[in-house]
Amino acid sequence: MKKVDLCLSSEGTEVILATSSDEKHPPENIIDGNPETFWTTTGMFPQEFIICFHKHVRIERLVIQSYFVQTLRIEKSTSKDPVDFEQWIERDLVHTEGQLQNEEIMARDGHATYLRFIIVSAFDHFASVYSVSAEGVTVSNFS
Amino acid sequence: MSLGNGFQVADTADDVSHKCKNPPNYPAVGKTALAQIFRSDGAQFQKNYTLTTGVDLVVKTVPVPDTADSVELFILDSAGKELFSEMLDKLWESPSVLCLVYDVTNEQSFTNCSKWLEKARSQIPGITLCAGGNKTDLAGRRAVESAQARAWALSQGLECFETSVKEMINYEAPFHSLAKQFHHLYQEKLEVFQALV
Repeated sequence: MKKVDLCLSSEGTEVILATSSDEKHPPENIIDGNPETFWTTTGMFPQEFIICFHKHVRIERLVIQSYFVQTLRIEKSTSKDPVDFEQWIERDLVHTEGQLQNEEIMARDGHATYLRFIIVSAFDHFASVYSVSAEGVTVSNFS
Repeated sequence: MSLGNGFQVADTADDVSHKCKNPPNYPAVGKTALAQIFRSDGAQFQKNYTLTTGVDLVVKTVPVPDTADSVELFILDSAGKELFSEMLDKLWESPSVLCLVYDVTNEQSFTNCSKWLEKARSQIPGITLCAGGNKTDLAGRRAVESAQARAWALSQGLECFETSVKEMINYEAPFHSLAKQFHHLYQEKLEVFQALV
């Protein structure tokens, strides 16, 4: 089984929901593989987005690049539809003035079909997410 | 694009001694009336006073002039009476902008603005504020002069407005001002985000 970045739109992954959407900085920017594009929240917290793999994967390592994110909660689902999310990871990030937050998470029990990222709170009125990458393997494709 | 925004209409009337002057309707500077008339585009002036006991939510979208953008205001109309202040502390955690409302016929409500300003700035660094003096229709009872309010606002770096909700004069100004300022703040943050890559 080959380890790949599972969070790439070029691999068929999609962002199926985001609670903020400035058309100049859409949520697709999180998984476009381009570190120079980003998604931004447009006011108030919490904010969230849901990533759909369109297959069953097992994630071993997550890397999230962001700015102004304070508390980040990640839920996952192993259902075929985006339901039955269960709490997976919660992190308090450190503010890194003038440079991106680079949060690396070694994942346990990383079986998932969907990931739900909730920005519970932030260090500013707005926060941005530049990329999410998930290293892991494809377990099975949906038939 | 629509920006979401926690907006707060805070009172200034109560908080300190309730003695002197205006007997019964003391906390009634017109916060709810202001929020409601804005919600209904001037269609509804609440004639009967009812005390706000917790918080009311009014949601309204305001276009930002000279842009294709709009700001969605989530207006939290919070209770004025001190009795309810404990449960408001939670709601004070997160507003992005705040309008301090006072009554131009009630000097105490104006002087209280300074306290509320201090409280807001200490709890929410970087919060955007403005001040609004309501009830200009009661000209004969005016106790806070426009120039006095303007001078204070200028010294605090706030925009300030006078309104008469009853006569529907200028009631949109504080909302539009805060929406514009919030949009400006967003544009500034976008530049910060852009500069990081």
